[in-house]
Amino acid sequence: MNEETTEVSGRESEKESGEESFVLVWLTGIVFIAAMAAIFLFVPTEQTEGPVQRIMYIHIPSAWLSFFAFFIVFICSILFLWKKEREWDIYAHASAEIGVIFCSLVLITGPIWAKPIWGTWWVWDARLTSTLILWLIYVAYLMLRAQTDAGSMRARYSAVLGIVGFLNIPFIHFSVLWWRTFHPQPKVISSEGFGKGMETSMLATLGISLCAFTLLYFLLMGQRVRQEKLKDEIDQLKREHLYSS
Amino acid sequence: MDNFGFLFAANAFVWGGIIYYVYTLKKRSRELEKDLELLKETLGKEPRK
Repeated sequence: MNEETTEVSGRESEKESGEESFVLVWLTGIVFIAAMAAIFLFVPTEQTEGPVQRIMYIHIPSAWLSFFAFFIVFICSILFLWKKEREWDIYAHASAEIGVIFCSLVLITGPIWAKPIWGTWWVWDARLTSTLILWLIYVAYLMLRAQTDAGSMRARYSAVLGIVGFLNIPFIHFSVLWWRTFHPQPKVISSEGFGKGMETSMLATLGISLCAFTLLYFLLMGQRVRQEKLKDEIDQLKREHLYSS
Repeated sequence: MDNFGFLFAANAFVWGGIIYYVYTLKKRSRELEKDLELLKETLGKEPRK
C-alpha cells in the first residue's frame, strides 16, 4: 500500500468512527435523560431514607463504571504484557483515567449520602477503606505514567500496577459480607438472587442509570483513546523529522 | 426526612465532574489536532481535513 492509499483509508476510517461517535453521543444523551426522568419523576421515594436515597442511582453506577474501567485496565495490561503492542497500553491508560474520575465520584457521593443516614461523613470500615485504597492505587498508576518517560518500561511497570490494583476489587465486593460494616449489604447481586433485595421500579431505574453510565464510559474511552493516538502521531512525525534532518 | 441539600450536592458533584472532564477532553483534543496540523504543514505534508 502506498502513502496516498494509506491516507485515504485513514480518512475513511476517521469518518466512520466520527459517525459512530455521533450515534453514541445521541444514544448516551437519550439514555441519560431517561435515567434522570426515572430517578426524579418515576421511582418512588424510599420510606426510611427519604429523597437522599436517590443518590444511590448515581452512586452505584459510578462505582460500576469505575470497577468496569479498572477491569478493562486489568485485561489490557495482561494483553500488553503478553503481546507487547502499544495499542493495549493506550487502552489501559485511557481506562485507568476514566476509572479514577468515577472512583473519585464514588468517594464523594458516598459520604454525602452517609452524612444524613449514618450521621457521619466517613467511617474506616472495610468497604470504604478498600475503595479508598483502590483509588490510591490507580492514582499512583496515573502518577507513575506522568512522572516516567514514555517507552516500553513505563508501559510494563504500569501494566503490572494495573493488574495488581484490580485484585482489590473482589475484596471490595466481598468486604461487606466478610466483616461487619456500616455499608449496606449488596442488594442487586445478593445471595437471595439477582435484584431480589430491591423493588422492581428501583431496580429498573438503577438498570437505566447503569446503562447510561456504561454508554458514557465507551464515549469517554473513544475520545481518550483518540487523544493518545494523536499524541503518538505527533511524536512519530517529530521522530521522523529528527532522523531525516 | 428531607435531605434535598445532600441530594443536590451529590448530583452537582457528579454532573459537574462529568461535564468538566468532557470539557477538558475536548479542549485537549482540539489542541492536539491543531499541533498535528501545524506540524504537518511545517514538515510539508498535507494537513488533516
